Amino acid sequence: MKVSLNWLKRYVDIPVSLQELCDKMTLSGFEVDGVEDLSATMNNVVAARILKLEKHPDADKLQICQMDVGAEEPVQIITGAQNVFEGALVPAALHDSHLPNGMHIKKGKLRGLPSNGMLCSGEELCLKEADYPGAEEYGILILKEDYPVGTDMRDVLHLNDVIIDFSITSNRPDCQSMLGIAREVAVVLGQEFRAPVPAYKTVGGDIHDHIAITVKDYDLCPRYMGRIVRNLRIAPSPDWMKDCLKAAGMRPINNIVDITNFVMLETGHPMHAFDLRDIAGKQIIVRRAAENEPITTLDGKDHTLNSDMLVIADADAPSCLAGIMGGLNSEIKDDTTDLLFECAKFRRDSVRRTARTLGMRTESSARFEKGVDTRGTEYAMNRALQLIDELDAGDIIDGVIDCHEELPTDRVLRVKADAITALLGVEIPTDTMVDILNRLEIVTVREGDELVCTVPSFRDDIEGRADLAEEVMRIYGYDHIVATPMNGSIIRGKKLPERVHTDTLKATLIAQGMREISTYSFISAKAADSLRLADDDARREAVTLLNPLGEEYSTMRTQLVSSMLTVLATNYNRKNTAVRFFEVSKLFVPKALPLTEQPEEIPALSLGLYGDTEDFFTLKGIVETMMQRFAVRAEYVRSEEPFLHPGRQAAIVVNGNVIGTFGEVHPDVAEEYGLGVRTYVAQLTTAALFAALANTHTLYKPLPRFPAVERDLALLCDEALPVAEIEKIIRRAGGQLLESVKLFDVYQGAQIAAGKKSVAFSLYFRGKDATLSDADIDPVLANIFKKLSENGCILRS
Amino acid sequence: MKAQVESLRTAALGALAELETLKELEEFRVRYLGKKGEVTALLRGMGAVPAEERPAMGQLINQLRSELESALEAKETALSSLQKAAQLKAETLDVTMPGKAQTTGGLHPLNIVLADLIDIFQSMGFDVVDGPEVETDHYCFEALNVPKDHPARDMQDTFYLGENLLLRTQTSAAQIRTMEQRKPPIRIICPGRVFRADEVDATHSPVFHQVEGLVVDKNITMCDLKGVLEQFAHEIYGPDTKVRFRPSFFPFTEPSVEVDVSCSACGGTGCRVCKGNGWIEILGAGMVHPNVLAGCGIDPEVYSGFAFGIGLDRLTTTRYKISDIRLLFENDQRFLEQFNG
Repeated sequence: MKVSLNWLKRYVDIPVSLQELCDKMTLSGFEVDGVEDLSATMNNVVAARILKLEKHPDADKLQICQMDVGAEEPVQIITGAQNVFEGALVPAALHDSHLPNGMHIKKGKLRGLPSNGMLCSGEELCLKEADYPGAEEYGILILKEDYPVGTDMRDVLHLNDVIIDFSITSNRPDCQSMLGIAREVAVVLGQEFRAPVPAYKTVGGDIHDHIAITVKDYDLCPRYMGRIVRNLRIAPSPDWMKDCLKAAGMRPINNIVDITNFVMLETGHPMHAFDLRDIAGKQIIVRRAAENEPITTLDGKDHTLNSDMLVIADADAPSCLAGIMGGLNSEIKDDTTDLLFECAKFRRDSVRRTARTLGMRTESSARFEKGVDTRGTEYAMNRALQLIDELDAGDIIDGVIDCHEELPTDRVLRVKADAITALLGVEIPTDTMVDILNRLEIVTVREGDELVCTVPSFRDDIEGRADLAEEVMRIYGYDHIVATPMNGSIIRGKKLPERVHTDTLKATLIAQGMREISTYSFISAKAADSLRLADDDARREAVTLLNPLGEEYSTMRTQLVSSMLTVLATNYNRKNTAVRFFEVSKLFVPKALPLTEQPEEIPALSLGLYGDTEDFFTLKGIVETMMQRFAVRAEYVRSEEPFLHPGRQAAIVVNGNVIGTFGEVHPDVAEEYGLGVRTYVAQLTTAALFAALANTHTLYKPLPRFPAVERDLALLCDEALPVAEIEKIIRRAGGQLLESVKLFDVYQGAQIAAGKKSVAFSLYFRGKDATLSDADIDPVLANIFKKLSENGCILRS
Repeated sequence: MKAQVESLRTAALGALAELETLKELEEFRVRYLGKKGEVTALLRGMGAVPAEERPAMGQLINQLRSELESALEAKETALSSLQKAAQLKAETLDVTMPGKAQTTGGLHPLNIVLADLIDIFQSMGFDVVDGPEVETDHYCFEALNVPKDHPARDMQDTFYLGENLLLRTQTSAAQIRTMEQRKPPIRIICPGRVFRADEVDATHSPVFHQVEGLVVDKNITMCDLKGVLEQFAHEIYGPDTKVRFRPSFFPFTEPSVEVDVSCSACGGTGCRVCKGNGWIEILGAGMVHPNVLAGCGIDPEVYSGFAFGIGLDRLTTTRYKISDIRLLFENDQRFLEQFNG
C-alpha cells in the first residue's frame, strides 16, 4: 500500500521524523517496504519570468533571455527554444541544478556569451500532460498560473511529498486504505485520528423514479447500495485531489471518475459509477451469469462467463463483472448527465475465483479479494456524495437503495485479562490493555476481571483471545517480551531411526571420499527416454505436476539416476577431472494414476563417479563397504538396466530382493548426457539396509588363540563361471575349519586355453582348540578339490 | 721381542686410527686379534723368548691385546654412530612435498547447517520428525487455518498434483500430523523440503528447505518462544546476538511475529548487510492459533504452544556468504569441496 505522506496528514498530525514514523509502524505490524522522496528528483529549478529577449549576435537559433528568478539581479540564460516570449513564466534550472532526467546543469558559455542555467521543457522535467497542462507540447514549458518568481518548481508541480510503501498483511484488509493506515498511525503516535464526517445536501427527488435494484444472489453479494446524482458538471478535479491520486499512482481523469477512485483509496471500498442513460430498463440486477454469457469490459476485452461468476446486469445484459471491472457500455463519458453510484460488498472468494479464471486483476478486485467491510459501504457512499457536493459536481437525488440481508452486528468478545497475560508471558496492566484496545476502536470496558470488547465490523480478523492479545502486544511493544527458559520436565530430543541410519549411511560414504549433492525432486518427463527405459517400465508411471514451471520440472522422480547423470555431466563439462557423488532423497511412486491419494515416498540413495582411477570395482567396493557397515549380506547378480553397460552391471540382492543396481553407464546414455568419460552409477532403496542395522546387536567374539594355516589354490575353469560361484563351492565344501576365502588373482592369457581362466584363492583354516596340522586340513582340501572338479574347476598346481 | 711388541702396538693403533668403516674394523680385528692374528702370533713366538723373560713378555703381550681390544671397541662405537648419522642424513626427505591423503568427502552445505540446527534443538529436548513432501490440501492449508480461497493462499504459489494433492509449501504441515499423533507435551522440529512455484533466480528456488518447530504444553508463553529462539540465535549467530520480535501475520499462529536478529556484520549499528537498519529477518513464528489446536483435538483453553519456521537455504547462504541460491543445486565439485562437515 503506497501512502502519500501529504495525504496522510489530512487525517493525522505527524510530529515525528519520517524515520521514526517508519520504525514505529514497522514495529506495530506495518513493515515499510520502501520510502520514495518525490522531491529528491530535482533541485534548484524555479519559476522564472522572461524580462527581455534578444537574438544571439552569433547564432540564428539562440535567444538571450534576461530572467527574473526572484533574486535582486536578473540572470542571463540562453535558450534555443522558439516558443518563449517576454513576460512568459517558465521553469529555469539555475547553476548547479539537477533535473529528474538525470541532467546536471552548470553555468557556461554558448557561442561566446555566458548562460547561467537552462530553461526547461516538460520533457526535461519528465512531465506528462496529466502532471501539468502543456507538458507534452514541444518547446519550453510555459506555466499557466501565476506563481511568484523564484517559486521552487517542486511546489509548482506538487512534488514535495514522500511515498511510504507499507506491506499490509492479509489479515488487515482494512488497512488497504488511507483511513485504515491513518488510524494505525494515530494509535502508534498517540495522535488524534480525524476521519472525515460525511455531510452533504440533496436536491430532493426520489431515487426510485430513476432506478430499481434487485439482488438475486445474496450469497455472493451481501450488500448493494445505489444513489443517483443528476445534472453532472464534469470537470477536472481540484489540484489536491489530483495530487492524492497521482501520489497513489492513478491518473486523474475527471471529477466523477476521480471521486470513485479517491473514495476507494481513502476508504478501501471500491465504487462504481454508471451512466444512468445506459442502464436498460432502469433496472440493476445483481445475479450469477448465465453459462457462456458474453460481456465486454471497460478495457475493451470480450469475456465468456460461467454461472459461478457474479455480474451486475440491466434489463438486457450484464454490464459489470461484479467487483472486478465495469462494462464498456455504461462507463462515464464526457457528456454523461446522470449517474448511479454503486457501493457494494462482494464475497471475496467469488471475486477471487472469477478474477483468476478470467485473468483479470484490478485495484477493485484486489480489495474485494482481501475483503471489504459490509457495514463500511455506507460510509464510502456518503463520502463520495460529500465530495460530489464539495466539488459541486452534480445534484444528489434523495433516497438510497440499500439491498442486503441481515447485516453483521457488533461482535462482543469477553476475555479474562489474565488469559491474555498467560499467553504472552508478560504482565500488562489491565488499564493499559483497555486503553490500547479503545484507541484501536475496539470499544473495551472492564467488568471485574473480564474485558468486554466490542469489535468494529472492519476488524473481521479479531475472533478471540489470541487476536486481542496480539493487538495489545503489538501496540504495547514486543520489546517487552523477555526470553524465558521453558518449564517442563527435562527430556531428551530424539531422532527417528530412519534419520539416525541415514546419518550413518552418509558418514560411511563420506569416509570413502564421496560428496553429497542436492537436486530438485521434479525432473523432465523426457528423463525416462534419456535413460532408455522400456515403454512398460514401472518407472514411467510417475506423478506429474498440474502447474509445473516448465517441462523440465514437470515430473516427480521415480529414480535418482537422471539427476545424478545431469550433475556428473555438469562437472565433466566444467573440467572437474574426477568426482565421487551421492544423493539421499525420495522416490515418488504413485499407488494409482491419475493420482487419487498421496504417492509412496521411498527413501533412496544414488551414487555417481568418474575419474582416471575409477572403474566398476571401485564403485562395487563402495557398495560393499556400505553393505558391511549395515551388516547386510548382499549378493551381486547380473542385471539388465537399459541405461547401464550390458556386461558391466549388477543387481544388489538382499534376502532374495533386488534393492538396487549399479554399474558402468551405457555409452549411448553417457553420450546423451554429454559425458565423454566412463561413468559409474548406482541406485538403491535404503529400507533394507536400515532394517538390517536396526536388527543388529553387536556382541564380542573371543580373539583366536591359535594361528591360522594358509593354503593357496590355483584353478582353471570356464571363463563364464563367476568367481562368486567358485567361492560358494569352496565355502560349502570347507566346513567348520575353513575360516575365510580370499580371491587373489584372475588371469587369462598366453598360458591359458581360450575360453578358460585361471583363478587363485587363499584359504585360511583355523582350529578352535589347537593349531591345525596337515592331517587336519588335507581331508578338507580333498573334499574341496572334489567338489570343484565336479563343477568344472581343475586344480592347476 | 719387546721392540717387536712395541712396533706392533704402534702399527696397530696407527692403522686403527685410519679406519673409516665397520667392515675395515672387522678386517682389523681379524688381522690383529683373530686366532691367526698378529697378536696371537706374538704369543705363539714366546718359545723363542728366554724362560725368565716369558712371564713379563706374556704380560706385555696380553696388555697389548686388551689395549687394542678396548681401542677397537671405542672405534666401533664411534664408527657406528657416524654411519647411522650418515644414513639418517641420506634419508632426509623434502617434508614440504604433499602427503598421501585418503581424501574424505563431505555433506552438502545445506545438510551441514541442518546438522547444526538439529544438534541445537535436540539438545533443548526437541524430537526430530519427518513428514511427506506430497501433502493433502487438508494438512498443508485447511488444518492450518487457511480455508480454500483465503487470501493468505496468495502468499504461496502452490504446485498441485491432483484434486487436493500438492507439494507442501511449508513444513508447517508436519505440525498437524504431529499433533494428531502425539499428546502434549509436544516438542518437535521437522526439517524438510518444500516447494513453491517461484521462477528460479539468485534468491528464489522452486525447491527449498525449512525447519519447522512446534511446542505444545500447559503454560507455554510467548516469552518461552523468545527464550528458545534466543538460544538458537546465540548458537548460530554468536552469544551477543539480540533477538527482536516484529508483528506479522500467519494464519496458523496468533500472535504472529517475524523474528529479526541483530546484524552480526555491524553489531546492530547498520551496514550494507542489514541494509542499514541493524537487523536481519531470519524466521517467522508465533503462538499456535487456537483454531489449529482445537482442530487437532487439543483444548486451547488448557494448552498453548508456539511454532516457528526457519528457512534453511537462506541460513546457509548467509552463513557462507553464498551469493546465488542456484549454486546449492548445481553441485559443482569445486563448490561442494569448500564446505567441510
